[in-house]
Amino acid sequence: MEVRNRIVGFLLILPAFLILALLYVYPLIRAIWMSFIKDGFLSLANYAKAFDIYSRDILYSVVITSVTVGFVLVLSILLASYLRFKEWRFLDIMYRLPLFIPFLIVGHAMRIFLAPHGTLNSLLTRILKVEELPGFSRSWIGLLWTFVWVMTPYAALIILGAFRALDSSYIEAARNLGASKGKIVFTVIIPMCKPSIMVAAILTFVRTISSLTILVMIGPNTPNMITVDMMFRINFFNDWGVANALGVISYLIVIVLAVYYLRFMAAERGGIKG
Amino acid sequence: MKRAFTVLLIAVAVMGLLIAQEDIPVKLTLTMMVAGDQNMVDFFQYEIAPEFEKVYPNVKIKVVGTGPGDAGSQQIIQQLQLEKDSGKDKWAVDLVVIHETGAVWAIERGLIRQYTDFLTAKRLAIRNTDEMALGVNVDGYVMPMFHSQTAIAYNPRFVKDPPKSYAELVEWVKKNPGKFGYNGIKGGMSGVSFVFGWVYYKSKNTDILINGPYDKKYEEDWPQIYAELKEFNKYVTMTAGNAGTLDALNRGEIWMGPVWVDMFYTWMREGRMDPNIRIIILAPGMPGQPMHFAIPTKAANADYALKLVELVSSPKMQAKYIVERFNWYPAISDDFVTPYLTKDVLEKIYKDVKQADLLKYGKPMPLLPYKQDMQEAYEKWVEK
Repeated sequence: MEVRNRIVGFLLILPAFLILALLYVYPLIRAIWMSFIKDGFLSLANYAKAFDIYSRDILYSVVITSVTVGFVLVLSILLASYLRFKEWRFLDIMYRLPLFIPFLIVGHAMRIFLAPHGTLNSLLTRILKVEELPGFSRSWIGLLWTFVWVMTPYAALIILGAFRALDSSYIEAARNLGASKGKIVFTVIIPMCKPSIMVAAILTFVRTISSLTILVMIGPNTPNMITVDMMFRINFFNDWGVANALGVISYLIVIVLAVYYLRFMAAERGGIKG
Repeated sequence: MKRAFTVLLIAVAVMGLLIAQEDIPVKLTLTMMVAGDQNMVDFFQYEIAPEFEKVYPNVKIKVVGTGPGDAGSQQIIQQLQLEKDSGKDKWAVDLVVIHETGAVWAIERGLIRQYTDFLTAKRLAIRNTDEMALGVNVDGYVMPMFHSQTAIAYNPRFVKDPPKSYAELVEWVKKNPGKFGYNGIKGGMSGVSFVFGWVYYKSKNTDILINGPYDKKYEEDWPQIYAELKEFNKYVTMTAGNAGTLDALNRGEIWMGPVWVDMFYTWMREGRMDPNIRIIILAPGMPGQPMHFAIPTKAANADYALKLVELVSSPKMQAKYIVERFNWYPAISDDFVTPYLTKDVLEKIYKDVKQADLLKYGKPMPLLPYKQDMQEAYEKWVEK
């Protein structure tokens, strides 16, 4: 009986497992393998080149992504705290709006909005009565602005969900003891929702570091993020080796986070039971 | 009984005829893969396919677009490689339209065949792009579909007397910092072409960079050349892609910048471009490139593919579509094309840049390995 159950169980997960193996694990292994091949031989040349030319871009990717995550967390926690205490349907709907706008459209809209003679500056120059203002559309500021704009609703959705799921009795208890709203957020809500906030942070990180469209539309020409460099290697040089090496490097960056996340979750639950 | 037999006989005869009739005009689908923007796909789908199907009603043309830039050619090469690796006798792709880079890759891998011996239009070509691409001998393998060219667009409202050479441009940007813009090398080929033009202007070995042979020793002066470009970039605005340069020109953010001539005139025709803006090719020359027709090695319908190339390369079609509708420069000599052009079109597309200018200043792209080195050098010495 026991064995039969196991076989049935295995058969049930087989389709999902096969799809995962075929569409994810196989390409992953292939990508890692190709990153070590140069002119038909095993070598580290691709990595040498990747670090030689793109080390600054790798660092830039990590920094921009981390700063994005920082801003996104602050904004989405503020938003979620506000909505936790106060029912405001209009805001509740509006903050989700960017979720339904494709990255390409956001990139294009921001690039027109933030251009030196774009919508924002045309308005500002008229109000401030100055001739010229610098544009942000091809700088890290514009890029960061756009990333934060795009990623915040997603993180806020997760965090607000967690905040709302929190039992109100804790908050009421704190309030009865005279805690201000700010204090409640920092000492009760955030600590209790830490796992969800971590999830939001990690998902934001992964989505940001792997995005390409927004960078191409509005990012600065230099320095650039890893994804743009990968595209460049493939399109202009037909060079899959270095492109894959860069891919593996970004896997590693994400894996560091994943390991940290698993450890953290395990610690929260008092160790993974299995 | 006899009557029944007669009926049967007639029935068989009619059926035989029907089958025979079905057999004679071979129905087939001509599959072509096209690298380039959507306008290239539309060009074949909506303009060329109906014309061709008028002459050969048995043929149905199927156009697959793979997107702009070398990436588009890249995808076509991958598809052909798959066909080759499958070991099939007849490949599913009959005709491809690729960049020079794609043509070189395809020849190296044995993915396209020699066919232009049988092409009348080849005799009308004068720019030798049908023989050399990126320093590789491609004679016989390709026929250009059109030529495109990069040039510097300038706004005469701000720039009364535009610089006529790279040297003058260097002086100009120092007097007008931030008013010249280009898109670097990762955001589209107009910026890449500008950089190649810069290397042509500075290098002692320009001819070798274009015609070969390839040797690292001809790149010795590059660190200096790129250091000067980095210095030049301090006075320059970086734009977002080919379209970004045109947009910035329109908004008056920049006064000059490199553009693709066809894109520039098409935007102007569609009312998306300030009609006062004009173009000039800087001395000693800026690169342009053709798009090439090529026929895969084991194309199932190579015969019809050849006919299609012949049709598009004919003077009348070149005039009507390539020049008038899409604002490219023709694949064949202007002498054959101009009789079919109206005065309006002639004055527009050759207003600023004449055929003589194109022959003098329209440079080919560099040899493929130099081309890649030039792009990588920019990453190493200018961006880093």
